[in-house]
Amino acid sequence: MKKPKKIGLICSAGGHYTEMLQLWETFEGYPKFLLTYREITTKDQQDAYYVENIFRGPLAFIKGIAKTFMILLRERPDILFSTGSEIAAPAFYFGKLLFGTKLIYLECSAQVYQPSLTGRFVYPITDLFLVQWEPLLKKYGPKAKYVGGLL
Amino acid sequence: MIFVTVGNHFQGFDRLIKKADEIASHTSYAILIQKGYSSYRPQSARYFDFVPIQEAMQYIQASELVISHAGIGTIILCKEYGIPLIIFPRRKKYGEHGTDHQVEIARAIEERKDDHIYIVYEEEQLEAKIAEVLARREKPIPGTNVGRANLIRTIKTFIEDHN
Repeated sequence: MKKPKKIGLICSAGGHYTEMLQLWETFEGYPKFLLTYREITTKDQQDAYYVENIFRGPLAFIKGIAKTFMILLRERPDILFSTGSEIAAPAFYFGKLLFGTKLIYLECSAQVYQPSLTGRFVYPITDLFLVQWEPLLKKYGPKAKYVGGLL
Repeated sequence: MIFVTVGNHFQGFDRLIKKADEIASHTSYAILIQKGYSSYRPQSARYFDFVPIQEAMQYIQASELVISHAGIGTIILCKEYGIPLIIFPRRKKYGEHGTDHQVEIARAIEERKDDHIYIVYEEEQLEAKIAEVLARREKPIPGTNVGRANLIRTIKTFIEDHN
């Protein structure tokens, strides 16, 4: 038996977090950890790492990115999955470039016709890229897939 | 109870909070407001800023009606629990969001004609819509989410293929 893959789950607070909870059962049985923003809505979750919103200021930006790197170094996930948003960007690039991590990105169901900034930023390096509205497919390349949405 | 919620977005949504509070001042509806980063403090309705997600889920489940910005989390949860929902999108021009994507979401849902989801674009229309929805006394049946099942299957297959 091979060792089960470790999965890192990454999302901002709010709707991105609700989307993650909707998909939580996908990852049952795998060793996993959560990386999210420290907000009242997300506090006290199991196996969670918290960073401050990296757009809250230059210091939060540097601290957030450094902490993200340390978490990846410690956890060494085989797969990263994110429901957005910008919190995923540093982790995805560190993961892909330094650790060869496989990346799965689910564009938020808030993006109906227009891609998100984070989606466009991580699209080139993401292995499985899913959108939740069909019209969005033509805004991305051939790699993007639509199999349905949570909304 | 009517639960009014504006989510985690860093900009306030005073337009909805003020209107809900005004409605609370002259009706018998019990209105509870999650005001987030809005600066207006309700005078008539009960309110709080934020609670852990599990607590917010309980408020939604205990409501006869939810009124919300076009936030994905609330829409998903109302559909899952079968709670009637009025969506009132945030607008860029009032400094309520960085873009008008909430109007896009509202329009996309409107076109799809989901049961028990109603869209209001102007605050003057909110009170009439509340009365209309509550008068229906509908008992929605929580639906099965096909999109969710497909997403779970697709992601699982990818993980297993890379094992």
